[in-house]
Amino acid sequence: MSVIADVLRELFAMFLADGWLTAGVLLLVAAIAVLIGAFQIMPLLGGVVLLIGCLALLVGAAGREAKRRSAQGS
Amino acid sequence: MDPSIWNVTAPAVGSAFFASLVEVVEAFTIVLAVGTLRGWRAAATGTVTALGVLAALIALLGPLLGEIPLQILQLVIGILLLLFGMGWLRKAILRAAGILPLHDEEAIFSTESAQLRGSGVSGQGTLDWMATMTAFKAVLLEGLEVVFIVIAVGAGGGLLWPASLGALAACLVILAVGIVIHKPLARVPENTLKFAVGVMLSAFGTFWTGEGLGIPWPGQDLALPVFAGLFLGVALVTVSVLRRPLAELAR
Repeated sequence: MSVIADVLRELFAMFLADGWLTAGVLLLVAAIAVLIGAFQIMPLLGGVVLLIGCLALLVGAAGREAKRRSAQGS
Repeated sequence: MDPSIWNVTAPAVGSAFFASLVEVVEAFTIVLAVGTLRGWRAAATGTVTALGVLAALIALLGPLLGEIPLQILQLVIGILLLLFGMGWLRKAILRAAGILPLHDEEAIFSTESAQLRGSGVSGQGTLDWMATMTAFKAVLLEGLEVVFIVIAVGAGGGLLWPASLGALAACLVILAVGIVIHKPLARVPENTLKFAVGVMLSAFGTFWTGEGLGIPWPGQDLALPVFAGLFLGVALVTVSVLRRPLAELAR
């Protein structure tokens, strides 16, 4: 049972280690799907939003963790 | 020569190779501790059993992937790659900025060795289950990430075999180096590799998520190196920005 629990923990850590980043990526992709599907925006515009959104989420996730750790340290 | 070899195949094989290198080094450290302290029979049994489970997983998942429509496959794998790749890149940025400690194979080897010394040893002639399970779990857990990376960078673009060969090459390299030096591979620049693979996986994730959403990327495959360059640039700038407050504190 411990092996199964460890495998599940590993899978969880692989994709969901940072809840904020995971939620951000999923919301971003869902929003772009809705914009392209329901609001008929140009797909390429959706691509630009996806790329810039991912870069912003990366910076936000790293910055958030840095701030959290520096607050813990002080 | 087909330009997609340089734009897609080489990055896919390279990502599988370098990501596997990182994971195999981590598994090797624990298998080495098991082999050194509790005997190579337990280490080999655990390793081979875990490799068998991983091979079965690939054999099971491989044919299933062929049944899924390509666009849905690209979207699902693209999102998983974004979650996984950006997770790696975030951690690599924090390590490069000095916020998280670097991975230390020698420290892991010492901790693992202490735990193995502390646990009971079974009688001579019988298989040492505790040691076997330690090696089994190490190879299985690190191998899961390798399997995911190979499937993710391979399946979206029909490159499952080249990506598998990239991962296999990494295993053979680590095995050969490990046999020669016979100690933890502490000199492998783990965070640099993780940084590079995080960049590539994030770029692949963005590309395939877009393809899955029906986004026609300008230049098609040529967009991939552009995305990788953007992720790399933004990640490096983030490292330098996050490093500054630490340097200011140290002054």
